[in-house]
Amino acid sequence: MATLEKKGWSPYLAGALSGVLSIFSVWVTGKYFGASTTFVRSAGMVEKIIGSERVARMSYFIKEIPEIDWQWMFVVGILIGSLIASVASGTFFWKGVPDMWAKRFGPSKFKRGIVAFLGGVIAMFGARLADG
Amino acid sequence: MMLLYGLITGIIFGFLLQKARVIRYDKQLGALRLIDMTIVKFMLSTVLVAMVGTYLLKDLGLVKLSIKTTILGSVILGGLIFGVGWGFLGYCPGTSVGAIGEGRYDAIWGILGMLVGAALYAEAYPGMKNTVLTWGDLGKITFPQVLGVNHWIIIAIIVIGGLLLFRWFEKKGL
Repeated sequence: MATLEKKGWSPYLAGALSGVLSIFSVWVTGKYFGASTTFVRSAGMVEKIIGSERVARMSYFIKEIPEIDWQWMFVVGILIGSLIASVASGTFFWKGVPDMWAKRFGPSKFKRGIVAFLGGVIAMFGARLADG
Repeated sequence: MMLLYGLITGIIFGFLLQKARVIRYDKQLGALRLIDMTIVKFMLSTVLVAMVGTYLLKDLGLVKLSIKTTILGSVILGGLIFGVGWGFLGYCPGTSVGAIGEGRYDAIWGILGMLVGAALYAEAYPGMKNTVLTWGDLGKITFPQVLGVNHWIIIAIIVIGGLLLFRWFEKKGL
């Protein structure tokens, strides 16, 4: 059991359990898993602070209203669940540059931060375009 | 109540994601580089189980499917763009918040980037609504509907295909 804890769970087992979780979610609340719409709603919430009239007129924010909904809480839950699992199993630690990245591109947190940011911009634009 | 359900579902999902170690940069890049299939095993296991269960409940009239519109132009283009960004970032939207949960704080930069990306998309949306988002619009289609066969035939094929793929992964040690 000790080695299983250290190594984590089988991806087949954890994946299948996530499937069961998804079935219950759809059954009980009618909600399918997703995350990227939350980034749209959150961006809208931030923009509302700067100019709420403009946000109210934008067609994409009329389609995806900037407010906290089921999925928004789901995404927050993922952070909490990951925190609980990692702290409980002793796999939580602060790290700003992943191992595989450091091996290839060096230990610079700045370089990693810039690429992560740009990657985030591109990934979310693509995700929204594909409606995923 | 809906918000509470969202939070609880997210906590369980985040717990499982962390346990399977799939929220790590090294695992995500490992999949993209075709050297470590851990996240593919996780995702496909989820899909196979959820597919069977969801269709079962649908046949019993207990749930409704949420079918997205298939627009070839935006799905193909968006998928290609997403892939480039994912390769740079090494986290996807859902796993980026999970990564912060286990202390991998480079994901914060990715999340800020994704918020900017979402804002940019909202700006570009009016211009794309009548262009990319209309190219090859096939409507809300599914495989069983297009092929005109019972959905359980398609489900059986996908489950068998998935299991064969898993066996191959294990044989190759991926």
